[in-house]
Amino acid sequence: MPLGLLKYAWKSPESMPRFFPDETPLKKHYDAVIIGGGGHGMACAYYLAKEHGLTNVAVLEKGYIGGGNTGRNTTIVRSNYLTSEGVAFYDESLKLFEDLSDEFDLNIFYSTRGHYTLAHSDSALHTMRWRAEVNKFHGIDSEVVDAAHVKKHVPYMDTNCGGHLPVMGALYHAPGSVARHDAVAWGYARGAQSYGVEIHQKTAVTDIRTVGDRVTGVQTDRGFIETPRVISMVAGSTPTVAAMVGLKTPIEIFPLQACVTEPVKPFMDTIVVSGSLHVYVSQSSRGELVMGASVDPAQLHSTRSTLDFVEGLTDQMVDLFPFTSRLKIMRQWAGMSDLTPDFAPIMGKTPIKGFYLDGGWGTWGFKATPVSGKTMAHTVATDETHHLIQPFSLDRFERFNLVGEKGAASVGH
Amino acid sequence: MKFVECAPIGRRALSEFVYAGPVRKEPRNETVSDADLSEFLYYHWNQPAVQTELWQHRPTGIWFYFERDTATDRIERVYPATKGAAQ
Amino acid sequence: MNRRLPPQPHEWIDRTRPVSFTLEGQTFKGFDGDVISSALWANGQSVLGRSFKYHRPRGLLSMADHDINAMYDTPERPNVRGDVTPIEAGMSLAPVNTFGTLAKDKGAWLQTVSRFLPVGFYYQTFHKPKALFPFWEKIIRRMAGLGQVNTDWPAERSVKRYHHTDVAIIGAGVAGLSAAKEAMNAGLDVLLVDENPHIGGSLDTHYPFDEHADGLRESVQALEASPNLTVMTRSYAVGYYGDHWLGVKTPSGLVKVSAKSVVVATGVFEQPGVFRNNDLPGVMNASGAERLVARYGVAPCRVGVVLSANPEGVQAALNMIRAGVTVKALLHTGRLSADVRASLTEVGVHVYEGVESPEALGKQTLQGVQFEAGSQTHQLECDGLMMSFGWAPAGALLYQAGARFSYSESLAQLLPVTLPEGVFACGRINGVFDLQDKAQDGARAGRQAALFAKGQPLDPGIDEAGFRAKQAHSHPYPIWSHPKGKNFVDMDEDIQLKDLKAAIAQGFDNVELLKRYSTLGMGPSQGKHSNMNGIRILARLTQKTIVQAGSTTARPMFHPVPVADLAGQRFRPRRQTPMHDWHATHQAQWMETGPWYRPEYYATESDATASIDAEIDAVRRKVGLIDVSTLGKLTIFGPDAAEFMDRAYTMRMANMKVGTTRYGLMVDDSGVVIDDGVVVRFDEETFYVTTTSTGSDQAYQLLTRKVIEWGLDVIVLNRTGQLAAMNLAGPFSQALLQEVVTQPDFDLSLTGFPYLAARETEVCGCAVTLVRVGFVGELGYEIHCQQADALTIWQGLFAKGERYGLRPFGVEAQRQLRLEKGHIIVGQDTDGLTHPFEASLKWAVHFKKPYFIGRSALQRHKARTQRQLVGFELPLHQPLPEVSNLVIAGGQIRGRVTSVGRSRTLNKIVGLAMVDVDWLQNATLLPIRLSHGPSVEAKRVSLPFYDAQGERQNQPLSLDEPQEANQ
Repeated sequence: MPLGLLKYAWKSPESMPRFFPDETPLKKHYDAVIIGGGGHGMACAYYLAKEHGLTNVAVLEKGYIGGGNTGRNTTIVRSNYLTSEGVAFYDESLKLFEDLSDEFDLNIFYSTRGHYTLAHSDSALHTMRWRAEVNKFHGIDSEVVDAAHVKKHVPYMDTNCGGHLPVMGALYHAPGSVARHDAVAWGYARGAQSYGVEIHQKTAVTDIRTVGDRVTGVQTDRGFIETPRVISMVAGSTPTVAAMVGLKTPIEIFPLQACVTEPVKPFMDTIVVSGSLHVYVSQSSRGELVMGASVDPAQLHSTRSTLDFVEGLTDQMVDLFPFTSRLKIMRQWAGMSDLTPDFAPIMGKTPIKGFYLDGGWGTWGFKATPVSGKTMAHTVATDETHHLIQPFSLDRFERFNLVGEKGAASVGH
Repeated sequence: MKFVECAPIGRRALSEFVYAGPVRKEPRNETVSDADLSEFLYYHWNQPAVQTELWQHRPTGIWFYFERDTATDRIERVYPATKGAAQ
Repeated sequence: MNRRLPPQPHEWIDRTRPVSFTLEGQTFKGFDGDVISSALWANGQSVLGRSFKYHRPRGLLSMADHDINAMYDTPERPNVRGDVTPIEAGMSLAPVNTFGTLAKDKGAWLQTVSRFLPVGFYYQTFHKPKALFPFWEKIIRRMAGLGQVNTDWPAERSVKRYHHTDVAIIGAGVAGLSAAKEAMNAGLDVLLVDENPHIGGSLDTHYPFDEHADGLRESVQALEASPNLTVMTRSYAVGYYGDHWLGVKTPSGLVKVSAKSVVVATGVFEQPGVFRNNDLPGVMNASGAERLVARYGVAPCRVGVVLSANPEGVQAALNMIRAGVTVKALLHTGRLSADVRASLTEVGVHVYEGVESPEALGKQTLQGVQFEAGSQTHQLECDGLMMSFGWAPAGALLYQAGARFSYSESLAQLLPVTLPEGVFACGRINGVFDLQDKAQDGARAGRQAALFAKGQPLDPGIDEAGFRAKQAHSHPYPIWSHPKGKNFVDMDEDIQLKDLKAAIAQGFDNVELLKRYSTLGMGPSQGKHSNMNGIRILARLTQKTIVQAGSTTARPMFHPVPVADLAGQRFRPRRQTPMHDWHATHQAQWMETGPWYRPEYYATESDATASIDAEIDAVRRKVGLIDVSTLGKLTIFGPDAAEFMDRAYTMRMANMKVGTTRYGLMVDDSGVVIDDGVVVRFDEETFYVTTTSTGSDQAYQLLTRKVIEWGLDVIVLNRTGQLAAMNLAGPFSQALLQEVVTQPDFDLSLTGFPYLAARETEVCGCAVTLVRVGFVGELGYEIHCQQADALTIWQGLFAKGERYGLRPFGVEAQRQLRLEKGHIIVGQDTDGLTHPFEASLKWAVHFKKPYFIGRSALQRHKARTQRQLVGFELPLHQPLPEVSNLVIAGGQIRGRVTSVGRSRTLNKIVGLAMVDVDWLQNATLLPIRLSHGPSVEAKRVSLPFYDAQGERQNQPLSLDEPQEANQ
């Protein structure tokens, strides 16, 4: 039994160190205010403090830590993107992820499983190869494999898909991983606080004050805070927060739903995604199959669940994994995805000085948690846009210079 | 799932409809400024609100305006989209 | 030990029909109507399962679909719940998550080291050193999960149904039944859903000997006979999905229910007390014991003790005695009235009041109970301890509907305070406990639901809280800490009081964080027996009220639902062209294109390549025929048709001459290429257009939408399914077509019917539209006709075509042929961001028009085109690059291959690549990196590869002049 466990076990509950301090009053002034206490917000706070010495920072969260999309996604981490800028960004994220447990001294269950994105048509196969070639060029472990390979490594898959849209091949990404999503947020939160960052849960931002084109403070339901820097890291609430400083964005909100089965003994070690069938699935370390599909068909700012979603998802699951028809769906939920027209995020500075945006994550936000924290912290602290996020600026749409991630029309997770 | 009362075709399941997004005014002059074009194409408020959207009833091909609350998903009003009414 | 009781008045079992089954290979006998747990318990089996984390022995708890510790695998399915699954003859059961047997589980040593496995222990360890985590993870994964999956199980899919009703009532207990009766009296259709095989709820379990109940029981029978009542038993509402829309899981599959109003009478879940060893087999909820007795005629124990905090505990004790179960004592946490005390002592039940700090005794199973009363510690021997501490609302549906709950301090229960429109709650979920009150509260809800369903105003005089209990039926804090622990809050997840304390101490002190860190309520029972106690503990430890501590959201599913039921029947409509059977009998190898099945090629030669080459050869040298019925086909007509076409397409269309065709390119508002096809002008006000096969729905949607937005007087008619089409191409096409044109004097000559002409005529006696097009680069004709005529024409062509060497060709040959001609395929040579200037389609964009879709965006793209589609070639013997291989030069990605193939016609490899413009300027060679690593240097060439002058369009062959086609 590992030593860490013994040390932990001998502590009495009361003497265990707190992850998060008790509620404290808001200060009147912070050097920076981060809106949104999810993974991104916590990571940004952590790197601001750790790497840039900016510690007079408050993270304001209207609910609880990690309660938004951080705690609602299907926890997949990968870097096999289509564009060079996407690959560079997510590869950095993946590398950071690999060391997080060590850095936090908190096991985030970062588990490398291998990630198959199935192709059910020639055109999907072309897209997979495109991704694989770009990935390989950048030194990312990613390759196109044929249906026989898929069958060999995922023998329980019906690669014939019940006779409709059979699997023709797949993009295989060996470093594809899953992690315990909540723990990522908790680790960053604990780390940030150890440097003096304040985290205020149940604190809603109701307005952002500007003078001219400059941010001066934040109105909350617990009072006004002066600050020269506001960083919005609120995913599904981005349009609402951006509107507080008078900014329109290309971000539209669509629910993204997911569900889990009752736990069964682990049998599925890989992550399987099928864009054509709108299915992605992995098995958690609790034994549940964690499954998702594509976003809902219409804009909606709500996390309600629908029956249509589970019906559609399970229908496709049974084609791909016939035996799963004998499992039971235990719970379903939804998050609010913030989609952009080119499937790439919006990050960095905005026309409002001191207002920084980190949003437009679509269905990819979790896997970007460490790198977005790091690059946004750099951008905020130095007021120089980090080179990894230069392609993701808000004004690229004004310049009609979109990121090419949409080239691969099939959505992956 | 919802059912929608659509005057000419009666009560219909929402799954029979295709969402085609909110109605937006397209600048159609011969020269359009960068700002106007990017506003039309990309930059919108997109906050929770009751918005007028176009939905097509797939089996009949009929277009409808839905006044739908994007905070609650409640459809406040439905009426057939008649020519030219969008702009 | 046999625990079967004498027959009970309302029991569900049929004692004349014994059923045997096996558990761990050992045979057990029960009766028809028994569930697994009742049959096992009747046979004296007390250890029904092992717990998830510590592998502790567990018995039964609720007998109400949340006894997660009694779950079994059968050869057919995993995680079968013992407390609700009927036994079947020959059933073979194995307990889930057991290392060894129920009696001897090798995992049970874990409880001796439970100190080292505190809450969240896995976050604290295993990650150092990093390299070892995969090793630990394997062990963790071996410990994880419950049932075992057999990946060879074939698919199961059940049938789904819709059900429309006026009033849907969930829960057929006293309140639900009364609501149903009232709504039916109002003349409405009522759906009544209950998870039990018999309706009546607690009537038969908690009131088996109550004479008031008899009257209600009779009215139940009367109800069941009514024609405007639909009863779904063994069924539960899986979730409330807005707009009075519910999923109901029935034994025969999922029913999707749409109601005008909904009454939620789902009752309450009994909550266990939290004290040392509260999980020992023999400790159970009193309501669980009552279910066991009343439904299955099984005694919960030989000698029992009731541990109670409410009137239901007293009633349970009396019920047990009446049923023939020995109850030696009732341990009450409060005080009882003299009458009640007397009623108990009269039947031999010793009463202890002011009971505190209970503790169950025993090792493998319960052997006694220890407790404090009157400042003394007492011990009683018993093998059954029935807990009656209180209730939590089965409120999932109400939460999902948007109801708000508030905690009533006086009832020590969460109660609904605001309900959404058309949703009503009654019975115990509404805090109503007395039998008569429940009936009246149900009638109230039924009356209001009926009014709502009829669209009438609700009765404002009715008080939703009018029938609520005046005193608490729940203990405000049935939780006792113990230095040695083992006081379980969550039996699914083996979470003890100390775990929650530790989690809260570490700052996970709001209910959502607590849940996520400790996994409280995350197990298969989804917190049904644990969330309420968890919230009580959180509130107590953080010195908050229950409301401040908050409640977690109750997401669907109410109980887990089989994937087979949610998936339903497989529905994958396939579309077939009129020539489908012909293709099939001619060795077509199919490919799927959206819903269509199309011949990829005809397997006429030794292999695919040879077959495809033969097809290509036929088109280039003789004549070929391809079925293109899958193309989208639209007619656009009306006074404003020309204006409409001008706006919808990038090219000018208004100036098209009648009887001609033109390439039609569509882009979206941002200028991205979305579709292409052929545009035909029939007359001043009528156009006919084709779209790509997969883009037809999207194009139709876009065009019909634009009709409305632009307010033009034009109609767009989708004729994709009505019309079929085929393309006859090759030097002999004209000669062959001439033979089958049945319109006298139709001029098919090159001048009479020139390239890009379109005419309506007659072929094989059928009306057709002929269009002279050149997609594959040869003289050719698209023939559009009615579906019903298509096969006649197709076969007519083949009847005459043999001497011309006519061959059918498939999609693969067509792809190759068009590549040689340098024609793009939208979606292959373009991606989600490609605009026409990149796709070398500059000629297809006519800015002179004042407006067309995407015009403004394209003006900008034109000025800053960054990529361009170019042609390349390689010697035939070189390795063949694949689509999506990259062009890499100077250490940078400069482009990618979008189409490529070995051209037998041209004796070289030809391909298209999308390449960066700024790099391209000085480049004559494209270095293409092959999939396996090495690069080839392809020569950049101008397009098209084949017949640059377009001469082939005017080089027909005829059999009278026996010569081979030019190469």
